[in-house]
Amino acid sequence: MAISAEREGGTVIARADGRIDGSNASEFQADLQGVIEDSDKALILDFESVSYISSAGLRVLLLTAKTLEGNGAKLALCSLSEPIREVFRISGFDNIIPIHDSQAEASAAVSG
Amino acid sequence: MTYKILVVDDEPDLEPLVLQRMRRQIRRGRYEFVFAHNGIEALEQLQADPSIDMVVSDINMPRMDGLTLLEQIPNVSPDIRAIIVSAYGDMENIRTAMNRGAFDFVTKPVDFDDLQFTIDRTLEHIEQWREALSTRDKLVALQNELDVASKMQQSILPTAFPTGPSYKTFGTMQPARNVGGDFFDVIRLEDDKVGLAIADVSDKGVPAALFMMSSRTLLKGSAIGMVEGPGAVLTEVNNLLSEDDTTGMFVTMLYAVYDPATGVLTYASGGHDPPLVVHADGTSELQPLTGGIALGVLGGFEFSQESFELQPGDTVCFYTDGVTEATNEQGVLMGIEGVQDLFASAPPVDAEQAGMAMMDRVLAFTGEAPQFDDITCLTLRRD
Repeated sequence: MAISAEREGGTVIARADGRIDGSNASEFQADLQGVIEDSDKALILDFESVSYISSAGLRVLLLTAKTLEGNGAKLALCSLSEPIREVFRISGFDNIIPIHDSQAEASAAVSG
Repeated sequence: MTYKILVVDDEPDLEPLVLQRMRRQIRRGRYEFVFAHNGIEALEQLQADPSIDMVVSDINMPRMDGLTLLEQIPNVSPDIRAIIVSAYGDMENIRTAMNRGAFDFVTKPVDFDDLQFTIDRTLEHIEQWREALSTRDKLVALQNELDVASKMQQSILPTAFPTGPSYKTFGTMQPARNVGGDFFDVIRLEDDKVGLAIADVSDKGVPAALFMMSSRTLLKGSAIGMVEGPGAVLTEVNNLLSEDDTTGMFVTMLYAVYDPATGVLTYASGGHDPPLVVHADGTSELQPLTGGIALGVLGGFEFSQESFELQPGDTVCFYTDGVTEATNEQGVLMGIEGVQDLFASAPPVDAEQAGMAMMDRVLAFTGEAPQFDDITCLTLRRD
């Protein structure tokens, strides 16, 4: 699991890859906290290269969403593979975190 | 950091000499010296001052010599390391000193550069030793915590399974070595109905085990108190679990009520995998999701429920992701298809056999691959 990020205006676009599970969830959380600044308006997580996410990973997303919400900022996901999309559907997390097909769509949604 | 070094020698000239030759290290705050004139005094000082890091000792001294002192040091300060100062070429005493646990030695007349080098090397060793000790202590603490969590998890699992004239239930769990967060419950309800719950808490360790305990207690309370069905039960449990949402912990849960009078099973999913129904001929299908969300995430969410009728000979299987995400040595996921294949070739004959067969299938699939998650199966078969 590794994260790379770039900033466009007040929107951070971060890419995660590999497996996100109990063994690296706290690292994932620290990485996400590291890329977000208080002034940011949105975080878009590109999950195109994520192969697996466990409930420990979902918990990090939940905490991140809450942190962002506290700052009046948004979290969105994009480019999920079908198995990952299924995890969000079964867990119901697609009820609380908006999921988009592409980065462009996610960017449009968070800035709209 | 300043290291405190106890120098033990009956020679009165040594003290000013050490202070003079080591003045740079003292001024820089790296060394601090204290002095004793024989072994007895040295032991008294070690006992009185636990901040002493190491000892530099002469061998021949009145009252108690250096070799006896070496023997006694572990009784007073087990983590102290000692350097012995011996006469040049006195191999017999040097060997005795090393056998008694001296870390190193220097010879007389003392070459202070060599002494400083030897002291530094000893201090470096002490640092590594302390680090190893602290790592070990942390591991012990962690292991204790995991043991507590594991006991809590085991203690809430039912050991007897309700049966009726026309149905049987069964549940089994294979805990992961690093303590996961699965649990299941089978609850007797009014009118001979039976409630079945399977759940997976999002984290591991003691906080997760506590969350598991309260999830299970809240579920049981709601299940017994509410007649409206599984959707209303999950709505209530979710609201209670969402009240304190600072930890970000959540639990996925599938809760179902079976009515033996009609064979109807009503279920609601809180972010959990859907039930699998296996027919007497071995064919099987997953039931639809009910559009829920993991419990503890979003207070106020209204959970809906679905129903279907179990035919005689049908078995309904609940499971956690320890089953579907079982991974073999090649990194391949088994998926629910692994369970469906199993039952296609060997249809279930009763609830216990079906549950054990699922479990055996998972364990056979994973083989020697490490088990990261609890594996839990809960079954009900209509006879």
